[in-house]
Amino acid sequence: MDFFISQFISGLSITSILLMIALGLAIIYGTTGVINMAHGEFVMIGAYTSWFLQTKLGMGLIASIIPIFLITAAMGFLIERLIIRHLYNRLLDTILATWGIGVILQQLIRLSVGSELKYLEIPPYMAESMSLFGQQVSVYRVFIFLFAIAIFILAWFIIYKTKFGMKLRAVTQNKDMASCFGVNSGAVYSATFAFGTGIAALAGAFVAPLKSISPDMGTNYIIDAFMVVVLGGVESLIGTAASSFIIGETSSFIASFSNDTLAKALVLVITILILRVKPEGLFTKKIRS
Amino acid sequence: MKINIIKNQFFLYGFFCFILFLFPLLIDDPFYLNKISTYIVFGLLAVSLSLSWGYTGILNLGNAVFFGLGSYCMAMSLKLKTDSIHTGSGGLPDFMVWNNITELPWFWEPFYSLSFGIFAGIAIPVILAIILGYFIFGGRASGVYVAIITLASMIVVYLLIMDQQAYTGGFNGITDLSPLKFGDLEFDAYGPSAYYLIVSVMTFILFLTLIITKSRAGLIFQAIRDDENRVRFLGYNVGVYKTASLCISAGIGGVAGMLYTIVMEFASPTFMSITLSLSVVIWCAVGGRQSIFGSFIGALVITSGQGFLSESETFLHTWTLIMGLVFILSVLFLPKGLAGIFDKKSK
Repeated sequence: MDFFISQFISGLSITSILLMIALGLAIIYGTTGVINMAHGEFVMIGAYTSWFLQTKLGMGLIASIIPIFLITAAMGFLIERLIIRHLYNRLLDTILATWGIGVILQQLIRLSVGSELKYLEIPPYMAESMSLFGQQVSVYRVFIFLFAIAIFILAWFIIYKTKFGMKLRAVTQNKDMASCFGVNSGAVYSATFAFGTGIAALAGAFVAPLKSISPDMGTNYIIDAFMVVVLGGVESLIGTAASSFIIGETSSFIASFSNDTLAKALVLVITILILRVKPEGLFTKKIRS
Repeated sequence: MKINIIKNQFFLYGFFCFILFLFPLLIDDPFYLNKISTYIVFGLLAVSLSLSWGYTGILNLGNAVFFGLGSYCMAMSLKLKTDSIHTGSGGLPDFMVWNNITELPWFWEPFYSLSFGIFAGIAIPVILAIILGYFIFGGRASGVYVAIITLASMIVVYLLIMDQQAYTGGFNGITDLSPLKFGDLEFDAYGPSAYYLIVSVMTFILFLTLIITKSRAGLIFQAIRDDENRVRFLGYNVGVYKTASLCISAGIGGVAGMLYTIVMEFASPTFMSITLSLSVVIWCAVGGRQSIFGSFIGALVITSGQGFLSESETFLHTWTLIMGLVFILSVLFLPKGLAGIFDKKSK
């Protein structure tokens, strides 16, 4: 039983990281249909921004949450306005353009900050572990879990309870019709892209103390994030959360019988097999064509 | 008129291959000859993606996996031919000895035969392509799903090779290989012999792809790219054609991988990395994905530029940065790549 609880908790920790990373991707993909291959690099930029704010400007992790979000959201806004905007009528090419953006972001970091690994410490007041259901759990991981849930609820609230969210859903369902009713769909797209970028960057900022920071760290996350999104199904926030949970827990339990690398490979294979049977994902009824 | 264009293309390809055959007469330095060989091998990799992506519309983001598998097959065969394998009992490869393996694993056994290694270097990528084709096209997945599933499959193979260090050499790959030998004929990586081998294979593949693209099947490939449903309504089995295109692409990728092992004298997991896959996509996009020759030249120009600048790390990083920009600009303004410009002019 102890074994089960400890694997379950470690799975929850993976789930929360997956959820934070995939949420931004799901919002961008679900709304605009843009397949954002630069998402991993947005995570990476978030980690570097956090590193910069903490080691160069001496800010704390909590204090830097809002600046990180604002800086990277502005970056996402610019990228949407300059590049993505021109590709809404040929969505498959957004894979290419955003992949190119990823390369450029990586190289800019390599040329400015350098290729060597950077490390961030877990804030001292969260460095200890606490007892949870008879298991020792790192306080920082619990914090990440709570924060992921908070971000998820915030995103849900914005999309389903605010006026902006209503416009966003209208544009998602039918862009032309929404435009006819006076919704500025271009502005909605820009805001969505900025929002998604900001969330990805926050994920990076929180993951950074658990692992090292490097210019190519994003490539490790992009596949996981996409797997979560396609498994959960597009246009479904709950689906994203549920599939993060499924993939997170599966990884954790497989890893306890083998190792992390094999677990990752197996989870990818299982996801591909599921997509063969349910190509539209587990939690949606219709698919964007 | 149509016959004329085809004839012209055959003539152009022939002339190009002929020029490349003359290179060893002009270049004495074996180092440069080896470099040019690697650029040509990358060109073949671009040809393989151009066939599946440019002609059939399958955006295969995991294209490097075929290349990597081919390269590992060749490396396994050549590893078993080296003298350094005497480090262990029964001639075990060195990295297996370091990992306390005492017996050659069963799947290494057939690679004692070089012809099996060469056969496997084509067959294994093709088998993987058939499986992928079944999963992707059988489920009628399209667009983003194709891209993500192919990319994820490559990561799976990559992770397995990294993880099974005792059997695959893991992160280090398979190093210290013997040169390729057929009887008395030895293909030294830094001699003209390997170069001639590569240019001969290149000539064969270029003409093979030219014939495929001009054939009936080639026309159906292009029709699928332009309007998949219409082709389906005409009674063709789109899934089978797409799988076929992916298989040919996989076979060519495998051959390119084998040649790469011969000129580099090692195999590494980086040969099936996201970075390489992305590079191939960039070569094709910039050169012109809907043109076999354009993709080939795109790879040649970009990799040789990269090789030229690789002495300084800052130069190399800047070059990659510029390539990223060129890539985005060509996606935005030149969807048919540089080959598109020439196309317009000739019309």
